[in-house]
Amino acid sequence: MFNLNNPRFVGWSNYRTIITDPGFPRLLWNTFVWIACSVAFQFLFGLILALLLAKPFPGRGLYMGLVFYPWALSGFAIGLLWSWLLNGQFGIVNDILMRLGLIKVPIGFLSDERFAMFSVILVNVWYGIPFFAIMILAAIQSIPNELYEAAQIDGAGLFRKLFYVTLPYIRPTIYSTILLRIIWVMNFPDIIYGMTRGGPAGATNILSVNMINIVYYRNNFGLASALGMIITAILLVFAIIYLVLLERGEFEL
Amino acid sequence: MKKRRLQDVLRFIGLSIFLIVAIFPLVWIFLTSIKPATEVYTFPVKYLPSKPTLEAYRYLFSFARFNVYFKNSFIVATTSAVLSTLFSIVAGYILTREQFRLRTFLILLLFFVQMLPTYLIMIPQFTMFSKLKLTNTLTSVIIIYTGFGSAFGTIMARAFLKNLPRTIEEAAMIDGCNRLQVLFKIVIPLLLPGVGSIFSFCFVNSWNEVFTAVLFLHTDRKMTVPVALYSFVSKAGIQWNVMAAGIVMALLPTIVVFMLAQKYIVEGLTQGAIKA
Repeated sequence: MFNLNNPRFVGWSNYRTIITDPGFPRLLWNTFVWIACSVAFQFLFGLILALLLAKPFPGRGLYMGLVFYPWALSGFAIGLLWSWLLNGQFGIVNDILMRLGLIKVPIGFLSDERFAMFSVILVNVWYGIPFFAIMILAAIQSIPNELYEAAQIDGAGLFRKLFYVTLPYIRPTIYSTILLRIIWVMNFPDIIYGMTRGGPAGATNILSVNMINIVYYRNNFGLASALGMIITAILLVFAIIYLVLLERGEFEL
Repeated sequence: MKKRRLQDVLRFIGLSIFLIVAIFPLVWIFLTSIKPATEVYTFPVKYLPSKPTLEAYRYLFSFARFNVYFKNSFIVATTSAVLSTLFSIVAGYILTREQFRLRTFLILLLFFVQMLPTYLIMIPQFTMFSKLKLTNTLTSVIIIYTGFGSAFGTIMARAFLKNLPRTIEEAAMIDGCNRLQVLFKIVIPLLLPGVGSIFSFCFVNSWNEVFTAVLFLHTDRKMTVPVALYSFVSKAGIQWNVMAAGIVMALLPTIVVFMLAQKYIVEGLTQGAIKA
């Protein structure tokens, strides 16, 4: 293991190594794409699921149990599981797409640089839908029924009710959930680690995955710590945004 | 009326799609785990095993020592969940009922600790624990998971406690109960759903954690289930039906816990995560 008994002061050199690395801009870009696409689609599908679940129906409790369970599963194991589903040679996703006649030859979802980022985001969206759905559903259920009745009398249709009653009412929940998710998704290397470990050729490498690779494969704790500090600094920016919104009364603590 | 009917049909279709997408991966990994080794690598894919077999599970538990990893994971997850639940309730109780300086600061601090991912503080932790000669012990990861569990658990406990009327506690105090008696005889029994929610949440989190565990537990006898899966990946030549069986075993306990405590977990999550 790394020699921990003789630490040596190296000044800013670890930070310089990270920032001047030719791969660093791509690392930042990947992290940004990973966060933006994952959170946007998790929110969109989570909202749709919550709206579908808003009206009670027989068996709703059981249904929620089945649809929400991915949220409690191990991200790393989920990554491994999906790497099998998306396997370029024996994967069932390729099989289904070919049987449907959508593709002619199997796609290397995880081995082809063009598809790798798309694939890990797809899995992260799958994993993150329940969290948004749970939060939004709870908020929707706290909307007083009178608001809908009033909208009904005014002749509002389905979409008007959604945009003028539901969404404004649950705005605080949406804001705080999205912010929490951004922080969480940025710091969530588990799925990528289970699927690609940042590969192929760094196509899915994000900050958190890179930090773990530095610890496990290069045993360079100093370099990893410097990267950790950079991640913490970015994290702090979001934490401050959160606090500002909190202060403005957008949601409560 | 016709419009209402159409809406219901669309809702049904939507709900079915979400259900299939959610369940399908798990069904598929289970089917892979009961396939004979020869039927795993075929393309076009063979959907159902011609003869279901427990071969992969047998391999897992006899050669791969999964019983040891499973036991280790169970010890780690249960111990840390029990400890975090206990700490969370005591801390949450004090932070809700008492007024003192730095209280708001402490709550905010807990909130930020919750945001920090485990891998960020892995390095200082590793340095510290190796000085204490605690690396490669289950104790080390139990301590770490308890810390993380307590942070989130306290926030959840606070959310539950805020909804608990204080009048009962005050009545008990007038009747001569002290603070501890109030906590254990009145608050905790009333808070049982919350306690279940916190416990399940901490259990699931500890069971699922990989990165600290891989760094801290490196000998075969000390591995937890995620560490074992991790070592499977690097081991060339591991069959995918065995891998699938390992994944099923890793997911199973959390599915059981989630199904049992789903209602409470969802309640705790919505109350705890937002209104920190």
